[in-house]
This record gives sequence, C-alpha cells and structure tokens, in this order.
Amino acid sequence: MGVKLYKEPKLKKPDIIVGWPGIGNIGIVTVDTIREQIQAEEFGEIEAHDFFYPSRVTIKADLLADLEFPRSRFYYKHLDKKDLIIFTGEEQPTDGARLYAEGRKAYEMANLVLDVAEKFDCQRVYTSGAAVSLVHHRMKPRVWLVPNKKELLGELKRIDNTVLMSEVEGRAGQGSITGLNGLLLGVAQKRGLPGVCLMGEIPDYLSGAPFPYPKASKSVLEVISHILGIPIDSSKLDGMDAKVLEVIENLYAQLPQEIIERIEQRTAVPAPGTITEEDQKWIKEHIDEFFKKGGKGDEAT
Amino acid sequence: MKQPRLSLRRRLKSPALIVGWNTDVGKLGLKVTEYLNNKLDSEYIDEIEPTDFFPLGGVTIEDDIVRFPENKLYACPKRDVMIFKGDAPSYEWYKFFNLILDMSEHHGPVKEVYVIGGMVLLGAHTTPRELVPVFNSPELKQALSQYNLGKNMDYQTPPGQRPTLNSFLLWTARQRKKPAVSLWVPIPFYLVAVEDPNAQRKILEFLDRRLNLNIDFSDIDEEARKQNEKLERVRASFPEINDYISKLESNMRLSEKENEELAKQIQEALTPKGLEV
Repeated sequence: MGVKLYKEPKLKKPDIIVGWPGIGNIGIVTVDTIREQIQAEEFGEIEAHDFFYPSRVTIKADLLADLEFPRSRFYYKHLDKKDLIIFTGEEQPTDGARLYAEGRKAYEMANLVLDVAEKFDCQRVYTSGAAVSLVHHRMKPRVWLVPNKKELLGELKRIDNTVLMSEVEGRAGQGSITGLNGLLLGVAQKRGLPGVCLMGEIPDYLSGAPFPYPKASKSVLEVISHILGIPIDSSKLDGMDAKVLEVIENLYAQLPQEIIERIEQRTAVPAPGTITEEDQKWIKEHIDEFFKKGGKGDEAT
Repeated sequence: MKQPRLSLRRRLKSPALIVGWNTDVGKLGLKVTEYLNNKLDSEYIDEIEPTDFFPLGGVTIEDDIVRFPENKLYACPKRDVMIFKGDAPSYEWYKFFNLILDMSEHHGPVKEVYVIGGMVLLGAHTTPRELVPVFNSPELKQALSQYNLGKNMDYQTPPGQRPTLNSFLLWTARQRKKPAVSLWVPIPFYLVAVEDPNAQRKILEFLDRRLNLNIDFSDIDEEARKQNEKLERVRASFPEINDYISKLESNMRLSEKENEELAKQIQEALTPKGLEV
C-alpha cells in the first residue's frame, strides 16, 4: 500500500487542495474546476487496490485485459504567487458497506495524502465539501469555513460570503464534518499542519439528490480563489448550474403546495436556518418522499 | 496470517488450487468444492480468520442454522490439489485474496488457480451447460486450448455495475505472476435458488480431465437425472410452467412476472419440503 510518484517536481512551499466525491459533489467539482483551469499536471497517485473494490473489468478474447480501480491522483502547478498541489479521489475508501469514508482505510488514505503534502513542504491543506443547510436553492450558498487551528480564525473572518461555525444560526460553533474532508483536517491537525475545510451550503432537501450542486461549488471557488490569491473563473460552472437548476425547479414544482410554502419562507427570513426544529423535521419527513436519500458525502452536521 | 492448525506431513509438489465461494449462484462453488473434498478425501489444512474481512456484528441465520464466515483450505496430496472453500469477504478484498494465495503457497508452490463461478442464464434447463473461461494469462489460455473452452468472449462491466469477486482474484493472482482461470457456468435462473447438478458436472468433468482426478461421476449423474425427471413432472403437471419453459427453449424472453412465477414454482417443486409432483 503506498504512493506512486511519477516525478518529483520542485515546489516552493505549496498549499494542497483536496477533493473527494460527496453530497452534491461540491468539493470534487470545485477542485476539478481549479485543476482544469490552472492546467495542473499529474505527478503521482495512491495505489488503489488496497483501498477499493474495482470499478470495471475488461475482458478481451477470454483474457482479463484490465481491471480498473477508482483513482486517487496528485497534480501540481507552479503559480505566480504560490505553488499548488491538488489531490482528487474518485471514491472515498471505507472499511464497511457505507459509501463514505470511515474506519482504518480512511485514516490510512488521509495519512498517505498528508505524507505527500509534507514531503513537498506544504504549508496548508484545504478540503471542500457540503454544508447541508436550511437554505433555498435560489439563494446564493454561503461557505462555511472550519480551520484546524485557532490561529486561522482571524484571517478567515474577513472573507466575503463566508461564516464560521459560531456564526451559523443555531450552531454555537459546534458541528461535525463527516467523511475524508473532515478526517483529513483532523489528521493534519495531529501532524501540526494548518488546514481549512470550505463547505458550500446545499439545501437539506437536495442533500440526497443524485446530481451535483454547482451553485455551491461556485461559492467555494470564489472563496478559495480569494484565499489563494489566484484567479479562478467560477462562471465556467454557469452552464452546469443552469442545467441543474432546471432539473431542481421541475422537481420542486411537483412538491405539494404546503411544502413549497414552508421552503419559500426561507427566502424571506434574513438568516437561513432560523426556522424551528419542528419545521425542520416536518420538511425533512416530507421532502424525502421526493428525493431519494443518498448515503455518501462529507456533510457538516 | 495465523499458523495452520494441522500441517501436512510434506508440502505438495506443484499443486493446483481450486477456489469456490459458499454463496455462489446455484450454490455452484459450495457444491463443487464439497463434492471434490468428499471424492478426493481431502484434509483440512488451514483457514483464514474472519476478523478484518467480515463485519462480525452478529451472525446470519440460513436454513434455520446460524452461519458464521468460514474460509478453509483443504488438500489432497495424492492428486496434488488444494481446495479453498470460503465466504466472499465484505472488505479488504485484496488482502484477503493475497492471504488465500500466501496460505496455499505455504503448503506447496501453486502451479495454477481455478476459480469456480455460477452466472445467471435467462434460458431453459434443457440447454446444455457451457463452461465460459476467463484467463489471466495468455499462456494458460494456450495451455487449456485443448479442452475447447474458449469462446473468445469480449466483455466490459456495464455502467453502474461492478466487476465480480472472481475478476479481482484473477487480477491479484496476475500481480503475483500466478496463472489463473475463472470457470463460469451459466445456470438457468429458475435453478439459481436451488442447485444445478448439470452445472456442477460441467465444472467437475473439466477439473477431472485437467487435474487427472479420476472421479467416478455416477452419483452426480444420478442426481442430475433425478432433477431432470422432477422438472419433467413439473412440466407435465403445470401447463403454465411448461409454456414458460417451452418459450425459453424457443429463445423467447419471459416477462418479469413470468420469470418470478417460474422460479417460484420450480423452487417449491425441487426443495425437499416442496409440493409433491
């Protein structure tokens, strides 16, 4: 079990941005967009067979030609202000039958990613995921920022369209980040490596939807672009966002009027998340009938 | 890996390793490995502990009995054969497959690996059973060409599905430069929940020839004959079932409801507590 590096680029105090699939694929869409825009170059991967069940077999003329596994790859890019390493995983490893990361395998994967980060003297690690919230799909998603060091709080407080956990309504600074986007930050903290998780808000009623939520990825992109000081064009996601919005609106229109009315109230309140727990429970119970709940993801709860 | 509980007096010379799963389609892996162990008078030599590979949050109950994961290796030194009979792991597959190979190698330098697998056939039981091989090395394919197995099949996992455990095992063996073949036998869907002695016979007769096992198949032939007779009686007693099977024999597809009905009736007729026909 290990990492295969095809080359060892000389990087000057890079940061690392990490993404895995999860709720609304907010993190992975964000990281993939950055990777594509800066044209990062692949330089290594984590060997997959110890972590994953294969994803595809190819048999040619009775011969096992190929067995493909979910890939977990490293990329790099020299940028004007800062060198960058990007890591993307096609799946989150897990010990059990669940789809999102947990257990020893997830911990091993997090450590391998950070081994590479430390080898190249990374200064900071960024992960990205979903913040399941009582928001409306027509609202611009905010980005919840969770650092793994107290010293970062001051710096993060000053960024537009972001909130710390203590600023999220009803949270009092508490919560959890499930999946590898959370675990990685914990392991980084253990190693003394500063890091931040950026979570784009996704409406609770879309958290089990089988399609991405690019609106939140756009918000995360704007924030990470600001933090890193690199220009990322989030409008590249506009096309996907428009298509997804159309699907959501079609589904939304099929909901009973009383549910729509309750969800619409969210656009009227100044701060989303202030509706009562009873309302929350009521909406969840009904919404689940329309959107089949999924089980994967990195979710702030 | 834990030490073997019993040790062979001597290592096997250049054994073939046969692998079958307890929960295979039509119980094929289970029945073939049990049959071989019985016929070859194999001795238990080793096993893989379930920790690391199974949830162990309790036990399952099957056919009124508690069932715990069991992964055991047997050997027949006389025929230079090892037989692994086990439960498919829930996770840590790569480690598990390597353990099977490590454990076997501990008792003899494994020459070739044969993996048994049943697959579902949407056809009639009167269709002769076929053996569909998938090799992990061209050399083994060439070596087995005299058995006229190959269909030169091309296949790729359809979107939304995953490869079989046997493909993963074949790939793991290839990583270790160990020639391996998975031997698939299509089993009529309405026999999947019961047993298919004809399918078992198909695999067994190949292994018998390839590994010089010298097995007398009269018992399994008798079992197949009895099952065929029962199926004929079901056809004679239930015109609807006969129609379904006739359609399949004419290469026609049944509706989902018809499939379910046929499978249900056949299962009832062929299980010991089933209706008398």
